[in-house]
Parts: sequence; structure tokens; C-alpha cells
Amino acid sequence: MARFRPFHAIAVLALLGVAAFPLYWMFVTSLTPSARLFGAAPQMLPDLAQLPVYLDALTTTSLRHWLFNSMVVAVGTTVLSLLLAVLPAYALSRLKFPGLLLLGFVLFLTQMLPEAMLVVPLYDIFARLGLLNTLLGLILANTAFTVPVVTWILKGAIDAVPGEIEEAAHIDGCSRLGIVLTVVVPLIAPTLAAAAVIAFFHGWNEYVFAQTFISDDQLRTASVGLASFVGELSTPVHTVMAVGFIYTLPAVVFYLFVQRYVVAGMTSGGVKG
Amino acid sequence: MMTRPAQSQPQAADQAAAPDRSRWTAAVFVAPVVLYLLAFQFYPLAQQFYLSLTDTSLLNPSRQTFVGLENYRDILSDPEFHQALRVTVVYTLVCVAGSILLGLGAALLLDRPFRGRGIARALVTIPWAAPPVAAALIFVWLYNAQYGLVSRASQALGLSAGGFNWLDEPSFALPAILVTTLWQIFPFSAVVILAALQGVPSELREAAVIDGADRLSVFKAVVWPTIRPTVALLALLITVWSLRRFDVIWIMTQGGPLGETNTLVIDLYRRAFVYLDLGRAAAVGIVGLAVAVLVTLVYFWASRRAEAASGRR
Repeated sequence: MARFRPFHAIAVLALLGVAAFPLYWMFVTSLTPSARLFGAAPQMLPDLAQLPVYLDALTTTSLRHWLFNSMVVAVGTTVLSLLLAVLPAYALSRLKFPGLLLLGFVLFLTQMLPEAMLVVPLYDIFARLGLLNTLLGLILANTAFTVPVVTWILKGAIDAVPGEIEEAAHIDGCSRLGIVLTVVVPLIAPTLAAAAVIAFFHGWNEYVFAQTFISDDQLRTASVGLASFVGELSTPVHTVMAVGFIYTLPAVVFYLFVQRYVVAGMTSGGVKG
Repeated sequence: MMTRPAQSQPQAADQAAAPDRSRWTAAVFVAPVVLYLLAFQFYPLAQQFYLSLTDTSLLNPSRQTFVGLENYRDILSDPEFHQALRVTVVYTLVCVAGSILLGLGAALLLDRPFRGRGIARALVTIPWAAPPVAAALIFVWLYNAQYGLVSRASQALGLSAGGFNWLDEPSFALPAILVTTLWQIFPFSAVVILAALQGVPSELREAAVIDGADRLSVFKAVVWPTIRPTVALLALLITVWSLRRFDVIWIMTQGGPLGETNTLVIDLYRRAFVYLDLGRAAAVGIVGLAVAVLVTLVYFWASRRAEAASGRR
């Protein structure tokens, strides 16, 4: 282990402070009663006696519904994205077919389309299909944006799988689909997990579709519910911050646990120049 | 994302024997995703393009007249649109340069061995893991004119008078949003660059140090050439993401004050849902998309040239 370098240590601590402080501040604010919030000096430490404010946040707002809806949207987006992406990722990596390059380009092109740009036409389409005000509509819209990314990441992982393994299965008489499902998918499991995390976060965070397509408060997602507090004055600041913290903390903790695999999965074939 | 197709040579023989079958397999494998994207990306995009050639209003969307390129002529002579272009360029350039510099700094700090490095590498990704809406909410509160920590601190230091509303000040709103965005995205750059740093040959680095090279020249001669392609790709990704970012800006300022944070995406949303002018909104969107495609093509052209140049050496 290297010797202790004070400047380096200070720089690392400063970096972590910058990264973590806003969340810490959200937590402290949620535990500061209004009287002290608007006092002369800010309260810098959390007052744990105020923890019951979290019960208030769960009971006085629709937060429970919002979190449930966000979870449904995130899980739905993840499952649908993976289901749709595995086979084209394999085809892009292994099969030669006319339009291969075009498909690759089209997948990348979707990354340039802003969600906000497709809100109007998608609204129109969903209105005709009866998908407005449904979580399924949000899942379908989100998946359109996650599927290209997931496909690219999986393709990178499949590129790294040696072809001989498949050949053996082929000789044993497996069909191509059988090979993909029984041989390739298990081998790229770490990357599948990484892609799943990326799709899940997209669904959990998504705002503009949920804001525009959902009008029923019970069907709102947490991102929209939280955003509805901005500029609104009737809900106390500490309640708003408690809601925000309940929405944020599980995502951050979950990410801290899985991020090692996400990085490994993405770099195993993904983000290599 | 986006590796060069690392050609695997598995079933060459098998494919030569049955090329038709392989084509059919490919078609079946690719069809669902192609249909899906046609339905939910390219059909809406085509519709948007058609809208941009009409005078459709959200008040009465079924009554529309074809107006040709009139919407494009209108927005191209509209000062609000010019401002949106300018704001978008500034926002995007600062996002790219800022997040790469911060990410590079963080990556270099976290690349050296020290106790607790694993935990530090995990903790630095907190901002990236936080939902953008929550990030926007926290920063709105930090910038709050009376009670926000930023305002309190600047008042205590005598930098501003009481009640200074950062997000309402034309010259401070965009920087305030940039700080929020950079806080959110720099960890992504840090993690990607950190991964690229693992590819720096340590023997080379050590040899350079033994030869008495100072840290800056080691970076320039050994580290930078290795991570340069990754940084270039990162720049492209951040450019494309910045051009389409909506949530943080919309929640913090909705494009205001006086249009100072009105990026193309915000402008398009405002024209559609505030001015109810779907035709011009669509035209703004198409122009924005053209900008993004152009940037990407330039990137691929430049990286191919750089590759060719380094190949010749």
C-alpha cells in the first residue's frame, strides 16, 4: 500500500464531500421543523427527534402510490427492454445480413431524439390506443428509449463470447434460438444485469412522459409527484424533502451495491473506444 | 456502447453452407425491435416532421393547413429561437468541458492506490445515481432566495444582499443550472475515464518516472494517448445528452428568466404546451435533431481521420 499523502487525502475528501453534500442537505432539511428552517442560522446537523416526519410524508401525501407506480414503470421498462434487445444484439454481433450497418446507425440515431420532441406525437398515438393515463403507456414509451442502449451494450458482450462455444452446441443440433437462450445468455449474465440496471434507472427517473401522459394523481410516478411540489407553498419544506429523500435514497443505495457490476458489464465490451 | 464490430469468425463455414437460413434467422431476430422502434420512435418522428410543415395549434389539432417551410422561416427569424440556439451551445459546451475536466480530475485522484479506495470510488457516483428530479429539487432549495444555503453563504460573505434570487437573475440562472447538471453528470465521466486508465501500461508509466519525467509530461506522453479515444467518445455522449436534457432545466427555471435558460428542447416544449403552437414547436425539434446528427457525423468523421493518422505513424 502506498504511503500516506496528505494533499491527496484532502482532495479525495473534498471530492466525496461535494458528491454527497446535496443529499446530506436534503436529509438534514427533512428533519428541520419549519420554525428553525426559516431561522437566522441554518441547522447543519440532522435532528433525529424529527424522524416521524417520514411517517407524515408517507401518510399525508400520495407518496406510497407514486413509489409503487415508479417501481412498476421501472421494472416493466427493464423486462421489456431485455426481452426485445437480446435477439437483435445477437444478430448484430454474429449474423451477416443486409441492413446490418443501417440498423446499427438507426439504433444510435434514437439516442439523439429528445423525449420532449416525441411527447406530442406519442400523446396522439396513445390517445388512439387508449394508453393515456396508464402505466403500460409509460413502459412502452420508456422502452423505446432504452432498447437501443441495451441492444448496443449486449452486442458488445456477445462480441466477446468465443465462437467455438456456440459451434459445439451447433454440432449437438441446437437451433440458433436455442443456442442464444441456453449458451449465450448465461455467458453474458453480468452484462445483462448491468443493462437491466441502466433500463431500471431510466424508468425510475423518467419525467417528461409521466408528466404529460398521466393526469390521475393515483397513477403519477414519484418523479412527477415530487416535481409537483416545486413552486407550491402549501406543503411544508421538510415534508417535501422527506418525500424527495424516500424517492432518492433507495435508488442511490441500490446503485452503490450494483455499480461495480455495472461498470464491469459496460466496460467488458461496451465503453471501449 | 459502440465498439467497432469485433468480428468473430465462428460460423463462417456454416453460413457459407446456408446463407439463406442465416438471413431468415437475422430477419426474425431483428424484426420485433425494428417494428417497435418504427411504432414508437420513427412514426412519431415522421409525424413530428409533418406537423412542422403545418400550422397546427393545440387548441384545435384536427384543423391544420399545410404551410410548407413557413414555420422554419418563422423560427429562423425569431430572436427567441436565436437565443435558444445560443443558450443550447453554451449549455452543451460547458457540460462537455466541465464534466470531462471534473471527471478526469476525480478519476486521477481515485486511480492511485490508497486505503478505502473502493468505497471512495463507489461514493463518488452518488450524484449520478440520484434521480434528476430530486437533484433539481435539492438545488432549487439550495438556491432559495431567503433560506437557501447558497444565498445564506453568499450573504454571510458579503457577496450578495438578502433575498437574492439566483434562479430569477438573468446572468445567474444558467450558471446555477450548469452547476446542478455538472454535479449530476461528472461521476459518469469519472467512472468511464477511470476504467480507461486501467488500460494505461504501467511499465511505460514507471519507465517514464524513472527517466525523471515530471507528472505533467507523464500524463501527456503516456496517460493521455491511451485514454484519448475514450474521452472523445465521452464528449460525444455528453453532447448528445446535453442537447436533449429536459427535466432538470424545466423544473428549475422552465427556460426563464428572459429565456436565459431556454435550450432548444425547452423552447420546443414551451412552444407546444405554453404557446400551443405545435407547428413551430415541431420545427424547433427538427432543427435541434439536425444539429445533433450533424455533431455526431462530424465526430465520426474526425475520429476516423484520427484513427487513420495514428495508423500511418
